[in-house]
Amino acid sequence: MKLHRVMAIVMRHLYLYSRSYDRLTDSIYWPVMDIVVWGITSQWLMKSQNAIPNLALMILTGLVFWQIVWRANYEISVNLLEEFWNQNLVNLFATPLRVSEWIAAVMALGFIKMLFTASVGIIAVWLMYALNIFTVGWMIIPFFALLLMSGWFMGFLGAAVIIYYGQRVQTLAWTMGFLFAPFSAVYYPLESLPGWVQNIAQWLPTTYVFEGMRAILFRGEMPVDMLVKSLALNVMYLILSLAFFVFMFRKSREKGLARLE
Amino acid sequence: MVEYFEQSQLQSNEVVLSVQNLTKVFKGKKPFTAVDDISFELRRGEILGLLGPNGAGKTTTIQMLLSTLASTHGRITYFGKDFSEDRSEILQQVAFASAYINFPWRLKVKENLDVYGRLYGLDSNTRKHRMEKFLRLFDAWELREKEVSALSAGQKTRVMLAKAFLTHPQILLLDEPTASLDPDIADEVIQFILKQREEFNLSILFTSHNMAEVAEVCDRVMFLREGKILAIDTPDQLAKSVSVARVQLLVGDGLKRTIEYAQQHSLPYKLESRSIEIEVDELRIAAFLSGLAQKGVEYSQISINKPTLEDYFLQFSRGDFLKKTGNLVSSYSLDGGGR
Repeated sequence: MKLHRVMAIVMRHLYLYSRSYDRLTDSIYWPVMDIVVWGITSQWLMKSQNAIPNLALMILTGLVFWQIVWRANYEISVNLLEEFWNQNLVNLFATPLRVSEWIAAVMALGFIKMLFTASVGIIAVWLMYALNIFTVGWMIIPFFALLLMSGWFMGFLGAAVIIYYGQRVQTLAWTMGFLFAPFSAVYYPLESLPGWVQNIAQWLPTTYVFEGMRAILFRGEMPVDMLVKSLALNVMYLILSLAFFVFMFRKSREKGLARLE
Repeated sequence: MVEYFEQSQLQSNEVVLSVQNLTKVFKGKKPFTAVDDISFELRRGEILGLLGPNGAGKTTTIQMLLSTLASTHGRITYFGKDFSEDRSEILQQVAFASAYINFPWRLKVKENLDVYGRLYGLDSNTRKHRMEKFLRLFDAWELREKEVSALSAGQKTRVMLAKAFLTHPQILLLDEPTASLDPDIADEVIQFILKQREEFNLSILFTSHNMAEVAEVCDRVMFLREGKILAIDTPDQLAKSVSVARVQLLVGDGLKRTIEYAQQHSLPYKLESRSIEIEVDELRIAAFLSGLAQKGVEYSQISINKPTLEDYFLQFSRGDFLKKTGNLVSSYSLDGGGR
């Protein structure tokens, strides 16, 4: 793997971000709008029920955390789709660029965008509702890392299907993440879910991050066991999704990358 | 320029690209063989034309030579190295340009070239230096701050060519590089390509629909049809293999009789006012003119045009080549290229 080729792909997208208003606004507009809507909703719930302490912080932290998963996932699929839309896939893979280098580049881009979106979200929550997501403390760092890994595996899962079937399944870029959201217990405790959903949820690394977040907020406990479970599942899914993506890329190359443009 | 292709100053007969039994079968309910067991070689400093009608397998072949399409069977070797094993290392020396491939359209021209320079490991100074050199060379320096979306087709092609030369390749795969260019710019591009070949022993695989251009540029031409190589030879030799000449007459008296004569002898003709162009076998021109004289046809001007590469292409593409030449085809296949 050559770093200069990874950097080339990173720069290709950073140049785009600098003047692509749609790519910039989706990093700011949607997270802020979500925070406004959910912040108001949770404040109203707190006033009317006054039963669940830290409800607003719990919902808004869940929201910002979910944005990390969503952003990392979305960046991988959309960066692939950008090459389709620009008829640039053949251009890229007719150079010395390796698939592994492209993968490393989009993971790095996911990380950069995650930092940006998370910062926007954290600042928006603090400015609008005077709530500090860093209440979670230093544990926020492993949380972010685990959520980033989850976003990556979801992204490569979607990208693997897109690289083979092309633009006709491009909607996966926007929908893949949401497939996991109901099972991840983002805004509600795992025990509040139906039994069959809990069975699925326990196999998702995101569930343990959101449960862990609530454990800190409500009980002040550091849920090391949950983080370990999340890490183990993330590593497993990331390896599997990468292998799936590389397999589908090769299958797609058998049909020709030019057909995707 | 000095460092450009230092490695390429080797012996000129060296094979830089060898293709052996390359086959591509697209699977499906009805499997389709797009490229059928082709073999050929490209030597250092050689320009090899790749011609054939639509669907002949030209693009499929180029895609396999770039690894953007996996082959079903066969072996591709660049500089003696197996392409399937040393893909990245090999592509460092190979560049591709096509009039039909796009750049990221929201990036500026200079940003696009910067990305490509980075992909090939060029440092910042080299990228800037070469970007200016080649953009100026292809008359595109003023376009550097423009987004690709704002460029015309011809401007895009010029930038694409600058990109291809930016990395100082040893082998260039050019897919219709002059399509959509104005004739004067197209001619400049061709002259530039010839100069690079001359100066740096650059090897080029070249496709074009402009037969005059192919005849001017290519040392050898490979004709593909239905995925098979039907002939590889010099443009002159291929043109000579066409036995039909075009006899153009400005008929003063007897135009109707001339047409009747052509029809009776099944000779294809084109009519424009009193000028008629008739395709006649070179060996039968004397008998043809004698026949017209016997019919009392009078003409004030006559010109006999020798067959060109385009005639070869047309004859070959129409499908009557095999019927007319039969086993002659194999005699044109050189260097193990034909079947």
